Amino acid sequence: MLTYLARRLAFAVATVLAASVVSFLLVHASGSSPGAITAGAGASPAQVAAENHRLGWDQPLVTQYLTWLGHAARGNLGVSLIDGHNIWSDLLNRLPVTASIALFATLLSAIFGVLIGVAAAVRGGRLDRLVSVGSGVALSLPQFWVGILLVYLIAIKWHLLPATGYVTFSASPGQYLQSLALPVITLAITGTAIIARTTRTGMITALRQEHIRTLQALGTPPWRIRYVHALRFAGGPVVSVLGIQFIALFGGSVVIEQLFALPGLGQAAANAIDNSDIPAVQGVVIIATVVVVITNLVLDLVLAALDPKVRTA
Amino acid sequence: MTASSGTGPSLTTAAGPAGPPAAEGRRRSRLPRAVRSAGGALSAAWLVLLLLGSLTAPLWEPYPVDDQEPLHTLAGPSGSHWLGTDQLGRDVLTRIAAGSWISVGPVLLAVAVAFGIGIPLALTAAEHGRWVERGSSRFAELLLALPSVIILLAFVGAFGVHPWAIMTVLGVLLSAPVYRIFVGQAQSVRTLLYVDAARVNGVSSLRVNLRHVLPAMATTIAVQAAQLFAIGILIEAGLAFLGFGPSVPSPSWGGLIADASQSVYTDPWLMVPTGLVLALTVIAANVLADTVGGERERERKRAAAARRAKRRAARPVVAGGTAARPASMTAGPVAGTVAAADPDALLDVRDLTVAVADGPALVTRVSFGMRPGAVLGLVGESGCGKTITARALPGLLPEGVQVAGGSVWFAGRDLAGLPEHQLRAIRGREIAMISQEPMVALDPVFSIGYQLTQPIRRFRGVGRAEARRIAAELLGQVGITDPRRVLRSYPHQLSGGMAQRVCIALALTGSPRLLIADEPTTALDVTVQAEILSLLRSLVKTTGLSVLIVSHDLGVVADLCDDVAVMYAGQVVEAGTVAGVLGQPSHPYTAALLGANPHVAEGLPVPDRLPSIPGTVPAPADWPSGCRFAGRCALATAACADPVPATRAHGAGPGGTGIVRCIHPLSPRQEPHQAHGLPVPRPVEPGVTS
Repeated sequence: MLTYLARRLAFAVATVLAASVVSFLLVHASGSSPGAITAGAGASPAQVAAENHRLGWDQPLVTQYLTWLGHAARGNLGVSLIDGHNIWSDLLNRLPVTASIALFATLLSAIFGVLIGVAAAVRGGRLDRLVSVGSGVALSLPQFWVGILLVYLIAIKWHLLPATGYVTFSASPGQYLQSLALPVITLAITGTAIIARTTRTGMITALRQEHIRTLQALGTPPWRIRYVHALRFAGGPVVSVLGIQFIALFGGSVVIEQLFALPGLGQAAANAIDNSDIPAVQGVVIIATVVVVITNLVLDLVLAALDPKVRTA
Repeated sequence: MTASSGTGPSLTTAAGPAGPPAAEGRRRSRLPRAVRSAGGALSAAWLVLLLLGSLTAPLWEPYPVDDQEPLHTLAGPSGSHWLGTDQLGRDVLTRIAAGSWISVGPVLLAVAVAFGIGIPLALTAAEHGRWVERGSSRFAELLLALPSVIILLAFVGAFGVHPWAIMTVLGVLLSAPVYRIFVGQAQSVRTLLYVDAARVNGVSSLRVNLRHVLPAMATTIAVQAAQLFAIGILIEAGLAFLGFGPSVPSPSWGGLIADASQSVYTDPWLMVPTGLVLALTVIAANVLADTVGGERERERKRAAAARRAKRRAARPVVAGGTAARPASMTAGPVAGTVAAADPDALLDVRDLTVAVADGPALVTRVSFGMRPGAVLGLVGESGCGKTITARALPGLLPEGVQVAGGSVWFAGRDLAGLPEHQLRAIRGREIAMISQEPMVALDPVFSIGYQLTQPIRRFRGVGRAEARRIAAELLGQVGITDPRRVLRSYPHQLSGGMAQRVCIALALTGSPRLLIADEPTTALDVTVQAEILSLLRSLVKTTGLSVLIVSHDLGVVADLCDDVAVMYAGQVVEAGTVAGVLGQPSHPYTAALLGANPHVAEGLPVPDRLPSIPGTVPAPADWPSGCRFAGRCALATAACADPVPATRAHGAGPGGTGIVRCIHPLSPRQEPHQAHGLPVPRPVEPGVTS
């Protein structure tokens, strides 16, 4: 178990390093330079060169990378080329927004997905077919399209929820929840469909296992067979898909944050790229990778804890 | 697993539903097959049309792409503009058509790149063993752990908006899940015998891969390609929606939706056409993957079933020599049509018929009885209905199979007519079962302690601590020397024999009167088999338990049973005491089973070939109206085509009567163990019964 943990940790660090190298190389291969941005449009080549020198862009690649890495390791991701803000603290301020959306959407998907999936598997028949078709359609709709539709119906037509914007939790918990409702629902529609499908398949597989027949032969009450034994058996795949969902929501938040004007990581990524804000791009890549890696790590541990074969090894 | 495929459903999750396991095939079969494949056909047609339409768009677009009609802005659908016009009065259909290639083409490229990298990598890894495999797997895992949408955006930030280049990068990122899926498959295909043979014969590795490995993976490739395509379309649209998509001369669909969203407050219609085309394309790709994948699952299942059947058929029917114990005559099976239930019998099965719902009968008019404390063996080849008969007693038939007639008298009640909840009260408490494969009969995620104490508490109404004490006691009773440790273990930590002991202990939790043991030793090693058999024997002796053993092994039956019922093709063809039936078989089938016995009596020469029964057990739908064994019987005559009644045989004991279902039974003088004197025909292959 300990060696397993050590291996996963080492791999996590390697992943973050790889992402940093990739983003570093991408930025340097692009041909644009930070000096061209800070010096502004219409600056002479000499001015641009001077700016680049000030920002250390003219040093050897390895030196630049190591300097950047050294700073990053100490929580210093540099300052934005556009407004001079500290990138680390900016991203840290944005993290709760994206984390809130991803967390709530995952939670909603888990609750409704498992309920619907179990119902489809246990009831079968018409309900099962309805769930199959419904989830198939929900999976195929582009999220931004669903989001716009929800905005139109719920915010514009029925005035039930605010269309866009974000209120922090500390400012007003009620408005915080309201401002998250539409983006979370939008994301949870896809998530619910995926979890429902995984749960359904898992439950059907579980109910066909030989050990379920042993339980039946012992006269075990059906609820115990379904909701203790079969659900527990189907739990592994559901949990791992939930983890993947959470990661996908973090990445997918770019589109949703743009759509709902939420000041999260995704919006920061889109802004940084729009403005060719090189250190900000690198910062976003690193933070996003760290989130993915931590989620994967937690997921590995949860799955290991769920599986007696790993746990007792 | 896709760590982060951003806007779209991740690959894994899409892979989950892709193969609606064949098990579901039955569940879904109420939906006519034609409709399901029609869905697949429609989807394929849509995708082909889309591809052709997008490539030829300039030829059929109703209006020039940038043709603006300032007086006709934001119009709904009409005769001149089928899908309406946008803010600048441009024809929506034209815009969708013009944007279609740039929406679809780059995604196709991404899929091609993903496969172009992923599959060769998987093939190489499968071919070159552990180190290469480990290296490339680490690399794939790394790619998977990167946040792909953010990486794509970083790429856009660095190089600007180039749809084809961006989708190439997406292809590289997606090659990781492709690799992940195919490396396992490539490895297992390579171990297939014919692939191995080709390699040994010096066929070059490229040829092996092209001729054998790739074709075997073709279906999976098709399924994955369709799913990746769906994911790619969604990701591309998401990027375009953000403004990182093509804009000149015409935006892709994501861009069109972004345009439409500008005026969604006033003109929601504009959202609909593009959204629908986009959604339909993704749905079509997913349905296609489902259809192809479902087909594959069904094939796999069929192949697995065929393999299982073959394996079972290959098991020799073993006779236990002449070691039949002198059996008590008290529990003789009862012949077909006796009027009243035997008052002394524990179990009295009368004319039991089990059938597939609106299908053929699997077991017809089976009758036998059991006295308390007796052991009855149900023998016959695979596919004769032994297991179905046994499972029908406590009402544990597989879904779609039901009792169609007859009765199962157990302790004064007819179980065949009882509702499910009353049967549930009998299961475990009065009738318990142990199954063929102990290794999968226990729940892998719960400890043995939990699995034993749960029913103990339910059956005996005791607390947790007391239940644990009883559990340890039961484990001791089934010969486990270290109950404390076993209680703490999980099923995967037990050996097969140990697991079967635990299963027996589990069956004893409700102190049942009847134990049904379905091939209890088949999956075990020979030495362990003997241990389990002696455990069962001692349980019968010490607890007065009655046992119904289903077996194809005549040795087990001779060893353990008092009585035996021989089943063939869903019927009991001969029944009586073990001494009577196995010592002096009357039915040619029983004699043939005994003749296929690989044990050679002392002093006799070892035969070159083991006699076997030619042919196979007919399928339920093909049963003749006459003797069902006639087709394989050397003694069959024309008269055998008429229905054969059961007649009394093997003497009449006080409790029951033996029967035989044959119009020319063997006379007792015919020695059953001399193969030449028996209707055991031409030997086929050693040890193979059919």
